[in-house]
Amino acid sequence: MSSGRVYEVFARKNHDEELKHVGSVNATDDDLAKAYAWTLYDEERWVEMCVVPRSAIVSITNEGPLPVWGN
Amino acid sequence: MSIATTPAFESTEGMSEPCARGLRQILLACADTKLLLGYHYGEWTFGTPELEAAVASCSLAQGELGHVRLLHALLSKHFGDDPDALMDKRAATDFANVGFLDRTVVDWAGFVAMNYVVDLAVTRVLHSMQGSTFKPIHMSVDKMLDEERYHLHHGRGWFRTLATRGGETKTALERQAELALRSVAEWLGPADDHDDRALVSAGVKRADNQTIYRALCDDVERLAAAVGTRVQAPAPTNFSGWTSANRRIGGGGPDEEILFHLRGTKNEVFKLN
Repeated sequence: MSSGRVYEVFARKNHDEELKHVGSVNATDDDLAKAYAWTLYDEERWVEMCVVPRSAIVSITNEGPLPVWGN
Repeated sequence: MSIATTPAFESTEGMSEPCARGLRQILLACADTKLLLGYHYGEWTFGTPELEAAVASCSLAQGELGHVRLLHALLSKHFGDDPDALMDKRAATDFANVGFLDRTVVDWAGFVAMNYVVDLAVTRVLHSMQGSTFKPIHMSVDKMLDEERYHLHHGRGWFRTLATRGGETKTALERQAELALRSVAEWLGPADDHDDRALVSAGVKRADNQTIYRALCDDVERLAAAVGTRVQAPAPTNFSGWTSANRRIGGGGPDEEILFHLRGTKNEVFKLN
């Protein structure tokens, strides 16, 4: 069964370090994304973990062809 | 009633007899249900609709078995129960789990009903003991509730996923969820359960089992309505024959084949003690 969308997973081990990208999961909704992220990426004792739908990420570097001034 | 206004207990000393008996029965009922949940989740490490669900099922099984150890430790310390005997020496009819788990969970709709409805029922019972006047359970209850959050995310997410697919999938989900709810109603018992009332009046539990059942029905009905399904399971009205030891109206217990695998009977010769 194919799932709805891709969620990127971010986590940190200590409150004084920044969130790091640890992987991604496919899920049909936020609830499943949370369950999958928590059970798939459980190799550390995270103090914080969050998921972000990949579609919500605003890309800066990969925007396709460079706009040519005047086009 | 407010838990804060009632005296706290460091042990069962000072508890009324119905209260102490009720506490043992509800801890054992939660432990037995978690033991069977762990078994079924473990069985579903393979055969899930997607790989992520297989990893999640395996993790849910680990969680439940860890909770069984916590509950057995409490039963051992405060009631003298032997954890090995609780696993290996009881007849099937002495198990106090939710009856929905007595047989093999044959399809994914059954898994989702088990995960969302049955697992949440036990969580709601444990939640009613958060901040209990029986202080020795505080840490265990807090730890279990913290971990159960992910069980609920998984159950809720899959309930929504199957419901929105419609057709036979939705019908199977509704049927299984109703069976699970009915089974939970039986497990929670009658409104006039004397021992349960004693637990609430002593502040060991914050809510009686009928209140817990209504809250569970609200949870399930609200989610079902949000995704266009209907799950209704009127609680039994006649509880004759029900006992808090077995928590079933007509007796019974887990299938012997399930207990055979769960206890590791075929490996008995390899057991360390």
